[in-house]
Amino acid sequence: MESLLFYGFAAVAVGASFVLVSMRNIARALFLFFVVLFAVAGLYVFALADFVALTQILIYVGGVLVLLLFAFMLSNKELLNQLQQGTSHFFALPVWQALAVALSFLIILVYAAWQFHQHEPQWIATARNAGAVIKSSDATVQHLGIHLMTRYLLPFEVISILLMMALIGAAHLARKGGQS
Amino acid sequence: MPQPTLTYPLIAALTAVFLPFAGCLINALSGRKRTNSGIAIGTITGSLIAAAYVFTQVWGVAPLHIQWEWFVIGTRSFYVGLLLDNQSALMLLLVPLIAVPVHLYSVAYMKDDPGIHRYWMYLGLFCFAMMALVVADNLLLMYVCWELVGFASYLLIGFWFTKDTAAQASKKAFIVNRIGDLGFLIGMAILYAQFGTLDIRALFQGDGLVASANVVGTEWVTSVGSSMPSVWLTAAGIAFLLGAAAKSAQFPMHVWLPDAMAGPTAVSSLIHAATMVAAGVFLLARIFPLFNATTLAIMVVVGTSTAFVAAYFALAQYDIKKILAFSTISQLGFMVMGIGIGAYHVALFHLVTHAFFKCLLFLSAGAVIHEMQHLKEKNKLDIDPQDIRNMGGLRKHMPLTFVVMAVAGLALAGLPPTAGYLSKDALLVHAFEWAAVQRGVAGVVPYLLLAASGFTAFYIARLVFKVFVAPSAMATTAAAHEANKWMLMPMIFLAACSLFPLFSIHPFDVGHVWVIQGMLPLALWPAASLYHTLVPVFATLLSLSMFAIAWRWYAKGTYPLRGRGLLYRLSFHQGYVDRFYHVALVDPLLRLSRFFVTIDRLVVDGVVDGCGRIGRLFAGLAAWFDHYVVDGLVRFVGKMAFWLGNVLRRTQTGRVQYYLFTMFFIVLMVLIYQMIIQA
Amino acid sequence: MITLTHFLVVSACIFAAGLYAVLARRNAIMVLVGIELIINAAILNLVAFGRYDRGQYGGQVFALFAIVLAAAGVAVALAIILNVYQHYQSINPDDIRDLKDQ
Repeated sequence: MESLLFYGFAAVAVGASFVLVSMRNIARALFLFFVVLFAVAGLYVFALADFVALTQILIYVGGVLVLLLFAFMLSNKELLNQLQQGTSHFFALPVWQALAVALSFLIILVYAAWQFHQHEPQWIATARNAGAVIKSSDATVQHLGIHLMTRYLLPFEVISILLMMALIGAAHLARKGGQS
Repeated sequence: MPQPTLTYPLIAALTAVFLPFAGCLINALSGRKRTNSGIAIGTITGSLIAAAYVFTQVWGVAPLHIQWEWFVIGTRSFYVGLLLDNQSALMLLLVPLIAVPVHLYSVAYMKDDPGIHRYWMYLGLFCFAMMALVVADNLLLMYVCWELVGFASYLLIGFWFTKDTAAQASKKAFIVNRIGDLGFLIGMAILYAQFGTLDIRALFQGDGLVASANVVGTEWVTSVGSSMPSVWLTAAGIAFLLGAAAKSAQFPMHVWLPDAMAGPTAVSSLIHAATMVAAGVFLLARIFPLFNATTLAIMVVVGTSTAFVAAYFALAQYDIKKILAFSTISQLGFMVMGIGIGAYHVALFHLVTHAFFKCLLFLSAGAVIHEMQHLKEKNKLDIDPQDIRNMGGLRKHMPLTFVVMAVAGLALAGLPPTAGYLSKDALLVHAFEWAAVQRGVAGVVPYLLLAASGFTAFYIARLVFKVFVAPSAMATTAAAHEANKWMLMPMIFLAACSLFPLFSIHPFDVGHVWVIQGMLPLALWPAASLYHTLVPVFATLLSLSMFAIAWRWYAKGTYPLRGRGLLYRLSFHQGYVDRFYHVALVDPLLRLSRFFVTIDRLVVDGVVDGCGRIGRLFAGLAAWFDHYVVDGLVRFVGKMAFWLGNVLRRTQTGRVQYYLFTMFFIVLMVLIYQMIIQA
Repeated sequence: MITLTHFLVVSACIFAAGLYAVLARRNAIMVLVGIELIINAAILNLVAFGRYDRGQYGGQVFALFAIVLAAAGVAVALAIILNVYQHYQSINPDDIRDLKDQ
């Protein structure tokens, strides 16, 4: 049962991403992106990272995607016009060099995964034997919270600064009446 | 043995020798400014006084000899020194005695000549060299002075060097003399090799080394122990004879003397009549003990042929100085013949008398030429002032000149009461005495000499009559006047010396001549009193008859011959000897020289040029190599970098996705590489 | 049984898709989407390995950070795209070639 769900989520994610990158219509591509994000969030749950899944939905779907959609929809007419033009083909013609590189990377990564499968890394085996594996009954939120405030406080603060910089920068970049 | 100390005669001899040289130096250093003759005349007069003193001290007394070491080669020493005996003292007196009148004469003759400062300089040099030659005590020193005399002669013949004839004549004189000098040198070498010394007294005195050396079998053995094949004795004699023959203008090396007349007449009188040409005769007399029978025979042949042939050539010449030049050659032939027959005392006596009257002949000829030159310039005529065909009737206008020239002519022809009669007839007598003892063809020698005497009388009479007595050939000679007193005084003095009182009390008998008494040889041919009376009479009659013929032909003007026959042309063209030399020697030599020039130009220069061309070829190759290979390599590298840069530039497309693609591609490569490594 | 490998394979596929989008799409927004896909694939990897880190929860924490960073990045990138469009009147990356070596 679990495996089926997992495979389902995985298929949706992978399939949607494949279709997404080859679709000509950007609006539909963005919506497929939306699908991908949700599927990936589901996969997070299977990895016993429930808080991450929620954060993914909240931020990615609710933030990034909406932003993309807004940016896309509210852009200039010429931008949209570019979309209306185009071939009748549903998919964009694949650029073979990029396809080759992507496929090569895919093969390499799959090969690496296969290697991982063959020779499990030492620390994973140790963790499993020691029982230091996250179980579904763990209170991840609690632990995450504690770790964020103690162990990972510094990255946390840095991230917040970075967010502030991004905010200011984006606001300045996108202001009306002048280039940046 | 040489004396270790200087006595007064020796000092005087040194003074006599070096005074003219000092004069020469002073003239040389003062350069063009010195135009007056004071230094020159002063030094030569001083030289005369010193020489006279030497003569009085040395004549008839034992010889004086002093020497100093000059240089050393290895263990052999060579010396300079003085040898004063009868012969050298006589010559030492003779040279300035002739030179002083010539100097005085030159004051007037060479007046206003632009090169006069050089003239006094060269004359001083010549007098010094000649006097040093006669008192030199060894052959090496004599040779040095011999060369110096030749050199002074060269300078003086070519005095007017801007004239081509003078320049050519001086070269000719020097070159022909050089051939003779070679003989002198060879003779010296043979003597030195055989005897180990060049000292004249040691070699040639009465009981000297040469006299005591004998020919034993085929070897010439000396008293010092060395020996050579006897052919060297003859060779030495012939070598010295060659030297003397060139210097004293013997046939066939006489060719330089007629051409030497291109020099000033005063020079001709001093050098080429009286003194330098006599140096050869003097040398032969000095080394007389060296000559063996063969050499003496050759000497007689040479002398006789010279005397005859030169007198024959003089017959048809019309240049005054050329007649006198051939006359000199002829008389020198007499002297050489005299030495050849062993009568060197008579030969030297003839040398002395000949010096006086020949110098006088030249000086008076110079006076005539000087006058003719004046006439030419005044009347702007186009004549040769030396051509006797243009002269005539000068007796009326130049009486004194006529008188002195006539006296000299009589002396030359050998008529009493001149000194020339004494010396010439003494030679003839001795020739007859010699021929009486010889066998074979030698008997013709005295008759040839008689014929030469006849010719002599004829040509000198022709000269005097045509110049002075015959009717004048040009109208303008009427304006001629007597010579300058500076020219006349020396001539009168010389005329006085040409007469008998200077030499002998008795005008007709040569036995009384004191000069001869002082130089008697060791052995003479048996005297035959028949010859002593018959020969002079016959010779005198012959000369008088020649005078008569010349009078008829030239003074009266009744010349019966055509003047174009073969004999005439042979005489006039001087036997074509010059032409022969030109064709046989000069032209082949010039051709050879041109041939070598061509070889030098083609082969030697060709090789050098060829090497140069090869060098340039290699340089060209190297340049090509450098340009195309070395530089090509460098350029290629540059082009490679350029091409590579151009190629790599294509990657900068400006498209960001292209950059990303490249990045990912490289990472991919690295990953694949790692995978392969791991596998 | 869901092993680590499954997650890794899925992540690889999403990564490849995202890579293709970055390299081949002619629209800057699609390139941005591609970048987001890549980031998502990476975060998936993080989370998958983070399961074996119970002691420090490192995987999950950094996954959170990555998500935040991706969002910030998108925001800035979109601002840049707008500016680029105002300058070049095109958001086709191929048209922006000012850095081309002439």
